[in-house]
Amino acid sequence: MTTFALEKVDHAALKTNQLTIILLNIVAFILNQPLLAAFVALVMGVGSALKAPGFGFVYSLLLKPRGWMKPDVLPDNPEPHRFAQFLGFLFMAGGSLALFGGANILGWALVWVVAALAALNAFGGFCVGCAIYYWLARLRLPGFTKQPPGGIIPGMKPKGSA
Amino acid sequence: MNGDLLLRFGFALGMIAVGVFAYWLLGQRLLARAQENVPALLDAPPQKPVIVYFTTPDCAPCKTVQRPALHQLLSLMGDRIRLIEIDATQRPDLARQWGVMSVPTTFLLNAQGEPRYVNNGVARLEKLLEQIKSL
Repeated sequence: MTTFALEKVDHAALKTNQLTIILLNIVAFILNQPLLAAFVALVMGVGSALKAPGFGFVYSLLLKPRGWMKPDVLPDNPEPHRFAQFLGFLFMAGGSLALFGGANILGWALVWVVAALAALNAFGGFCVGCAIYYWLARLRLPGFTKQPPGGIIPGMKPKGSA
Repeated sequence: MNGDLLLRFGFALGMIAVGVFAYWLLGQRLLARAQENVPALLDAPPQKPVIVYFTTPDCAPCKTVQRPALHQLLSLMGDRIRLIEIDATQRPDLARQWGVMSVPTTFLLNAQGEPRYVNNGVARLEKLLEQIKSL
């Protein structure tokens, strides 16, 4: 069964998470540090387990208190964003394992895929993981119960129209 | 070691450049789309620059940053510019026609009514001033 009730989601926390992932992934690649990529995977995994943006603490402890980033609370479904982060975790974990296993091209390619998708979300407002979630919901897959906020393309950042 | 680092740095820069180029292309596509829809919004050439500002009532950055920046711009420029504010929840048809994917989004039109700039997300006063000057 699909549901339409929306919750308040702070997109500033999500954006901080995405920007931090992009930055750390690029730094990990430039410095050739698989450990840093593994750290990003770990934080994303912990975030998925806690149902929160992995690097959300950067926002809540550093950026928000200093006023460097303002809350951007929109009516939205948190579940697709959690799913998107979990997908990112899987890619990052796979990338890290590949890097530690010596498959550098595959490893860094997966790291770049995560960075690119995070950039698409942060700068373009389109969440690929969320779009996949809504697509699976349309296929009535168990556990995927949410419908996209009204009037938007599934995966796009809501315009606050709900 | 340094060669490898430079190579990786160059590759990362290249990837970022590709991303920036894709973002620029998206902006150009939005401007072309906006051009097709200007006549529905303006009956005649406006004779002065126009800012078309898409917002929604519960868009936080619109309230805290974008609207104050636009009001500052209006107080600086007076009647030398025109501001058209569109609530995307009231006019989803317009938001769709103009290709607005998120709010705030601002389009800057020149005096002939041709869209010249699009800002996806918050555009601060300095940026708007710079864009207005180059119209």
